[in-house]
Amino acid sequence: MLRGLFRPVQRVSSTGVYTILTVTAAALVLLGWLLPWFVTAFSEGVGFSPQDAVSSAPTGIGTFLLYVTGVCMLIVLLSPIVEAVQRLRHRPLGVRSDAVRAIAGVVGLVLTVVVWILVRWANEEPLFGTLGNSPVTNSAVWLEMYAFALAAVVYGLKPLVLSRPNAMFAATALPLGALLPLMFHQAPDFVLWATQSLAVYMLLGLGLNVVVGFAGLLDLGYAAFFAIGGYACASLASPVHGVHISLFLLIFIGAAIAATFGAILGAPTLRLRGDYLAIVTLGFGEIIPDLATNNALGLTGGPNGISGIDTPRIGPIDFSANPQWFFWALITLSVIVVILLRNMQRARIGRAWVALREDEVAAAATGINTTTSKLLAFAIGASVSGLAGAFYGAIVSIVSPDDFSFAVSIAVLSIIVLGGIGNIAGVVLGAFVLTFVIFWVLPNLNQWSTTFGHNFNVPAISGIDFTRYTFIIYGAALILMMLFRPAGLLPSRARKVELESGIESESLSAVQGLS
Amino acid sequence: MPLLELDHVSKQFGGLLAVANVSFSIDEREIVSMIGPNGAGKTTAFNCVTGLFLITRGEIRLDGHSISGVPPHRITTLGIARTFQNIRLFSYMTAVDNVMVGAHWWMKERVWDGAFTTPRSRREEREVERRALDLLDQLGLAGYAGSYARELPYGLQRRLEIARALATRPRLLLLDEPAAGLNPQEKNELMALIAQLRDEGLTVFLIEHDMRVVMEISDRIVVLDHGEKIAEGAPAQVRENPQVIEAYLGTGASKVMHTA
Repeated sequence: MLRGLFRPVQRVSSTGVYTILTVTAAALVLLGWLLPWFVTAFSEGVGFSPQDAVSSAPTGIGTFLLYVTGVCMLIVLLSPIVEAVQRLRHRPLGVRSDAVRAIAGVVGLVLTVVVWILVRWANEEPLFGTLGNSPVTNSAVWLEMYAFALAAVVYGLKPLVLSRPNAMFAATALPLGALLPLMFHQAPDFVLWATQSLAVYMLLGLGLNVVVGFAGLLDLGYAAFFAIGGYACASLASPVHGVHISLFLLIFIGAAIAATFGAILGAPTLRLRGDYLAIVTLGFGEIIPDLATNNALGLTGGPNGISGIDTPRIGPIDFSANPQWFFWALITLSVIVVILLRNMQRARIGRAWVALREDEVAAAATGINTTTSKLLAFAIGASVSGLAGAFYGAIVSIVSPDDFSFAVSIAVLSIIVLGGIGNIAGVVLGAFVLTFVIFWVLPNLNQWSTTFGHNFNVPAISGIDFTRYTFIIYGAALILMMLFRPAGLLPSRARKVELESGIESESLSAVQGLS
Repeated sequence: MPLLELDHVSKQFGGLLAVANVSFSIDEREIVSMIGPNGAGKTTAFNCVTGLFLITRGEIRLDGHSISGVPPHRITTLGIARTFQNIRLFSYMTAVDNVMVGAHWWMKERVWDGAFTTPRSRREEREVERRALDLLDQLGLAGYAGSYARELPYGLQRRLEIARALATRPRLLLLDEPAAGLNPQEKNELMALIAQLRDEGLTVFLIEHDMRVVMEISDRIVVLDHGEKIAEGAPAQVRENPQVIEAYLGTGASKVMHTA
């Protein structure tokens, strides 16, 4: 509230064209949302799923055209976002990028029409399964139209977004909301991605952001808290100990347990800062999964983990029957977590965290209890991962030590670095981008490349296993971000300036001569 | 009873005795300056009083109660606030946020109040924000409430640091070279501010190198050299003290090369 009040607001005038575009496109998006209720059941196995493409072995030109259209669509869709970001950096895009967008837009529209004609009259088959027996085949075209509509909304909202930082936040949530209809219409693997990867990692990112972003404590072993939350909830809702607690009680229990461990593991690191803290937390991140592998205290089930975790149900709603419920539950939870964390960030404790991050000595001399503030950051950060852990177990129905490896810590860290350390909106965006690339694009690239190699008779392409390149992507993302946008895609205002000037503050205990 | 009492305080860093057996006391509503050449241990003494350093020997008392070994944030809550020689603001917080951090310890808002923005938390945030803005206003920082501390001109940063210290509701204010880097007019304003704070009931203890400031506003002066207290008294007395003059000017510095 305070920040918005004093931040100079830069007004960008909105033209009539923007308004018309936005309203029309918003109507289309709304239609996209409502469509599932009007269109009856789709034919089996039909979906925007590469598996379908493979199983139905598309061979025609339609498939290829759809790929090209997809690229054009992405350019149009992303250009307003890029432009908004560049504007914030006071580097408006030039004429050339306008030309690129225009060309992409025209090519995309033309190809959309071409694909539609191919589908309707030539019975050409683009990606969407068997033709002729279902209206869903049209959704290839519908999908394209939808994307253009979405692009127009983003483009139309640009003036609003540029003038108001809070609208920036809403804009980052838009891609998520916009993809929902896709999910309803289409692939089950999309729902799986949205719950198991996107929502869980988003929660983890939000939690780690409290520790790293707000309080400035670099934690490389965050997966440890995820593991504790996951195992705690798995033990309490599976046959392994004969305890069956409802998931909706369990998320609180999981959060409480993870918070407790957050405080316990945080305590020895209180005097450390920077590199030393990172190394110690790295150790925790390794110890916890190792304990789980060794079946510590007979609680964790060893290397095989705990399986047969209960699927939650509320009254008539059975989560196992329709995984969409996981999505809704997780989205609700994420929204609640985002709101709570934003409130905290703006309140007394949030100021204390920032003060701690900026200058620990001055913070202590100003009356902030550095010990409790740090422990609170660890505990609150960990509690969010407890929530994520509870849902993760319920979704995949088995937790094993491999789920909580160092790769998870790195993924979560990459998410917040990519999105913007210390900025909740940035974390949401980072989670979206990174999980989309790592957990959806990469596995599907395998299928796409197979189709592509098959179509154009290039066996070498069809043999590539893209999921092996996950770590290269993490690495490349981190390196490129540090080089070109050290504050992330959506930087928090303070963090941006801070990183650019490269200040390192000393720890209280170092000044006191205790460490 | 004196407000602050240093009783044979020593602080040792390895082989270096930075503060050596120093004793003095400060009464309520007094303005006391601590002077001495560079490296005399003045800032070290400040750090001992505010709990940043644990003292090696002796005792520091506030209102007769020992505060040796009490952590820095507790000392702030006991009524000692300070500024730093090299300004230590929260650079990337706004000026008003910096001041609101000063209110941290006496705010009643709990973590869950903040998380759920309960009416109580909202009321208190508004109240503290209003007070912070008032305080900025009184220190002539009204137009800078929304600027990052880092963006402020140097003189105003010094003043913002005082504002942050005042927000902690201190009884004793420790200022570490508050006039350093200020122009003559800013120095005059600073002296007026310090006098005004004393009139409002505050006790001020400052380290300062600017002799005009020290001589004009101090009730008493403590002189340190090589960690030891070499003189204490009213400005006029200290000015005439041969030991002080020697500490500052050395023994015939200009003649050293001639005799050698």
